[in-house]
Amino acid sequence: MPNQNTDAEAALQKLGHRVRLGWAKKHSISDKSLESVKNTVREQWEQEQTASRASKPTPSPEKDRGPKPPEPEP
Amino acid sequence: MDDLIKLVRTYRVTAGLAERLRLAEAIFRQIEPDLRFFVFNAIQPPAAEDVLQEILKSTAASLKNFRGDTLPAFRSWFYTIARNRLNDHFRKKTNDRLQPMPNDEILDLVDASEQAEPMTAADRHDLEYALKLLDGSKPECRGYLWNHYVIGFDYGEIAEEQNLNYDNVRMKIGRCLEEAKSLVA
Repeated sequence: MPNQNTDAEAALQKLGHRVRLGWAKKHSISDKSLESVKNTVREQWEQEQTASRASKPTPSPEKDRGPKPPEPEP
Repeated sequence: MDDLIKLVRTYRVTAGLAERLRLAEAIFRQIEPDLRFFVFNAIQPPAAEDVLQEILKSTAASLKNFRGDTLPAFRSWFYTIARNRLNDHFRKKTNDRLQPMPNDEILDLVDASEQAEPMTAADRHDLEYALKLLDGSKPECRGYLWNHYVIGFDYGEIAEEQNLNYDNVRMKIGRCLEEAKSLVA
């Protein structure tokens, strides 16, 4: 059965398309919004770096010490 | 918006900061106007800007966790974040809810759209008819028709917002459309 609301739906869809298009023309992304986004991305990236450094196993003190220095000659 | 989901997928697997910033800018240049439209249609302007910034921060912070692979899934995901932040705001300030957009503002946006896509006389005729349909609707129905056809929410998204099931919303919008048509005829 054909949809009786097709014309009305098409007209409303056209209106929606036009309104969103007009809105996007009049309101491109603001500097404030762009800064918010970039600051959030930076903060998240820094958190990831910190978490990644913290999760790496720390070298054991034994290995760090390296070879024992030779005993002094008597 | 065709390349939007590609940008989102690439962002998900990108490790370097400079590349992430570049991708985030490209993504948000596309979705910020939609989110701004959604928020500024719901809240009074002084608070709307603050809520929009909260939504953008939440969306940017969770972007790497988005697991979907389609544009509708991505839209649904970021509008869910937007609705949650909006509801947080309304829990604190109920009076900030905005009245429906007046017709002169709608027509102003329609005129602005002509810069991107020229309009025919038939388009104008259809748009006048669409405005009559909205004007003839009861407030509840106008809200449903506006959210579905103008904001662009699908039945599932409206169902989630209204705590209704999908079929219930589909039938409500169908009935609202019938009623509006009969009043305009």
